[in-house]
Amino acid sequence: MLALLHEWLIAPFDYGFMRRAAVGGLALSLAAPPMGVFLMLRGMSLIGDAMAHAILPGVALGFLLAGFSLPIMSLGGVLSGLLVAVLAGSVSQMTGHREDSAMASFFLISLAAGVMLVSLGGSSVDLTHVLFGSILAVNTTALLLIAAISSVIVVTLAVIFRALVVECLDPLFLRGQGMHGGLVHGVFLGLVVLNLTAGFQTLGTLMAVGLMMLPATTARFWSKRLEGLISIAIVLAMIASTGGLLLSYHLSIPSGPAIILLAGIGYIASALFGRYHSLLTRLRRNAEPLGAPEPH
Amino acid sequence: MEAQHASRLRLHDLQLAQANRTVLEHVDGRFRDGAVTALVGANGAGKSTLIQGIMGMLRPVRGRVECAVPRERRAWLPQQLALDLTFPMSVEELVMTGSWPSHGALTGYCARHYRRGREVMARLGISHLAHRPLGELSGGQRQRALIGRTLMQEAELLLLDEPFANVDVETVDVLMTVLRDMTANGATIIVVLHDMEQLSRLADEVVVLSGGHAEWTSVESIARGQAAMAGTARLSLGIPGVRAC
Repeated sequence: MLALLHEWLIAPFDYGFMRRAAVGGLALSLAAPPMGVFLMLRGMSLIGDAMAHAILPGVALGFLLAGFSLPIMSLGGVLSGLLVAVLAGSVSQMTGHREDSAMASFFLISLAAGVMLVSLGGSSVDLTHVLFGSILAVNTTALLLIAAISSVIVVTLAVIFRALVVECLDPLFLRGQGMHGGLVHGVFLGLVVLNLTAGFQTLGTLMAVGLMMLPATTARFWSKRLEGLISIAIVLAMIASTGGLLLSYHLSIPSGPAIILLAGIGYIASALFGRYHSLLTRLRRNAEPLGAPEPH
Repeated sequence: MEAQHASRLRLHDLQLAQANRTVLEHVDGRFRDGAVTALVGANGAGKSTLIQGIMGMLRPVRGRVECAVPRERRAWLPQQLALDLTFPMSVEELVMTGSWPSHGALTGYCARHYRRGREVMARLGISHLAHRPLGELSGGQRQRALIGRTLMQEAELLLLDEPFANVDVETVDVLMTVLRDMTANGATIIVVLHDMEQLSRLADEVVVLSGGHAEWTSVESIARGQAAMAGTARLSLGIPGVRAC
């Protein structure tokens, strides 16, 4: 039994690429979920998805120019992601249309451009790697990149944390204090883009956003407090990314979908059995007689 | 007589527009320090527009707002609906954000701030709610917490947009006492009000907005006009009849 557990859970990490992917996954799990929590609380859960598409053309262009070089592809991703964010922001400000419609238009353009660029220069295997990630891609350079980006995100988030909270709750108060809410918002979107580019190596551009959003939306079923949401989301992301890597190893499936599907199972289970707002609590509440004491 | 009062907030030939449509023009006047000025007028008369103009969030088309109160001592309490109440934040956390102006948004709170936060909550009777999320509060409790934030901020200019809507009677009393204390300490308070009874209890001066203009008047003349019109003092002020006074 112990030998079996060892073979399933420990032995895969004898390989260097699995160790690097696991450490990269843990670093991402520290940085991505807090961003997801804020996106969710601001009703912007889908913006992460849009940004994930937005980084694709840059990643593809980097791939065309320099082959499978992660630093170049990441740089391209960050640049195109920021470009789309700025373009969408300015179009919506200029026209007065809502930002999500501009964002939707630009991310569709980006997705098409990105896929076209990858298929111009590479095989369909390359396309799969870019879109869905490949743990084999995580070499030491990539790992350092992921760790560096995650550190930048965590530190920046800590600095702007309170301004971000108030910007969500009451943007007018922030503006009244002479702090430009748009600046906080812009820095935050920049962090989202950075995070997605750090994630695309193990998870793929399309899946990177999953590690951001799913732990956050899952945490909502377990906590009502901001600190609670963030810590639960981080723990869930760590479990999902490590577990997903193991699944990917044993079942020979791409790592991105494996990690995200695992997180997805967590979400569905929480929606059914979670502590708040889940199906279970709803059924329980209905079954309680009048005047019953509050469950602890 | 009005000229004898100090005022740190003056409007000079102010013209304000929303989406290229002029809402208010030729607004000249001053708001007395240490007094509550009520802003009344029908829906769309420009109450919120004037508040935005004073807070510097709407650039005047013409004229200017002269405000000697430093930016970090100005507070604006928008109508409650403007807040995202699903956001998981506790009463104490909300009150504490009022300390930003004095020590910045990026540094942590120290014991002194927490002590002050507790004093403020005690004064408003919300100490027992300190750790309750905002989403679980009643309208009155939430309004007390928001006023707590402005107390924490030591606001010297306070703009309130219908602060007593959806608020219980007891809270109205507590808030009025707190607001009167603030004016006693020299704060300038501008409040959008609809209720005549609340207006006569709280306000020292009244500004009536109608037809794109603002008119400074006294509480007594508003009350007389209301009484003459309807024979009752508890009538909504947002009706054109107020213009007659």
